[in-house]
Amino acid sequence: MFRYPKPMARLIEELTRLPGVGPKTGQRLAFFLIDQSPAQVNSFVEAIVEAKRKIKYCSQCFHLTEEDPCSICSDLKRDKTFICVVEQPRDVIAMERTKSFNGVYHVLHGAISPLEGIGPNQLRIKELLARISPDIKEVVLATDPNVEGEATAMYLARLLKPLGVKVTRMAHGMPVGSDLEYVDEVTLSKALEGRREL
Amino acid sequence: MAWRTEGIVLRVRNLGEADRIVTLYTEKIGKLNTVARGARRIRNRLLSPTQLFTHGRYLIFPGKGLHNLSQAEIINSGQGLREDLEKMAYASYITEVLDGLTAEEDPNSAIFPLLTGTLSLGDEGRFALAARAYELRLMAALGYKPELYHCLGCGESLRHKVFFSKEGGVVCQGCTGRFPDARPLTKGTWELMKRLLEWDFSRLNILHPGNANIEEIKGLMRNYLDFRLEYPLKSLDFLETLQAIPPPEVKKNER
Repeated sequence: MFRYPKPMARLIEELTRLPGVGPKTGQRLAFFLIDQSPAQVNSFVEAIVEAKRKIKYCSQCFHLTEEDPCSICSDLKRDKTFICVVEQPRDVIAMERTKSFNGVYHVLHGAISPLEGIGPNQLRIKELLARISPDIKEVVLATDPNVEGEATAMYLARLLKPLGVKVTRMAHGMPVGSDLEYVDEVTLSKALEGRREL
Repeated sequence: MAWRTEGIVLRVRNLGEADRIVTLYTEKIGKLNTVARGARRIRNRLLSPTQLFTHGRYLIFPGKGLHNLSQAEIINSGQGLREDLEKMAYASYITEVLDGLTAEEDPNSAIFPLLTGTLSLGDEGRFALAARAYELRLMAALGYKPELYHCLGCGESLRHKVFFSKEGGVVCQGCTGRFPDARPLTKGTWELMKRLLEWDFSRLNILHPGNANIEEIKGLMRNYLDFRLEYPLKSLDFLETLQAIPPPEVKKNER
């Protein structure tokens, strides 16, 4: 049986550690990399090493950053009294794409999931509570609208409300451009609950 | 051939970019691991029926490994269970116990009505009672019915000074040496256990037992479940964490 040369086999093994990459995809990626010029491969490797070396978590919001505090936390134009709580760093990027939020963030790095054994202690909840001072006007809970996200939001509301801070939750509603006929009953009833006067 | 059956979502895990592995407990086939293709995409019709605790009608095509969840229609969205932290924690416990104790494709006609009955009684705010009835009845449905009348050691019929062992039954005082884990069982709790096990499930909502009896059954059944499961339940930690933090407002119903 044909075996790959050792360095190639190692490359394939390392690539298959990536999420969603199985043996076949691993082999395809390895062949692609081997066909690249040394300069292209070096640039790829350097990008990985540099990202790993320079990227850390912001000590205030726990978003990914090169400088601590991150560019959002150190921006003087941002409203520091308005905190948006999200599950993952990629949710910060999604919120920033809206260009309609001018507050700061807090990244929890996960959501409460009793069935997976992820409890409040595994999230950055203590750090969020430490950020709540009398200056904070509002905390908006922007965790995902699924079971884990809702549980996290309810749990946080229970901890935050006694501190006297205004706690809000992102609205649930119909996706823009969708047909009402095809929207499921849960979303539709939520959208009806959250209707607005025109 | 396709399966058309009612089911309840016990567990959901992400698969790849947009798919979900959905564990269902179905009325006709028992527990099934299915894959719902594209169920994480915002406009996918399987997005909402594959949320945890949803009771729905499902169309499933059998596969070699994972079965294919093709269509779904919601009967009860389970939204009430997801919008209250205590209810969500209890419902997670109910589904985790069932997932842990049952094998795939092993139909059991008693379990599905027990599961829907428990979640519905829990949704009315009676989870503390519903969970205890569920533990007792689920063990009975799976062939581990707790023995409440005869001593596990000597088989004698018991009337007073009863103990309960993690091996799933009552023990007389004389046999406690052979069952060192056996804990005393008060008369009131013994009566309550009998009712929770033997009464028609729809009548259980008329019971309003004291907290001490409920707590006693909880402790005894936890030992029995741990003995049968042989691994700790993850959802219990969260349920206990919650009980340490008071809810923002006092609710009328018991929790």
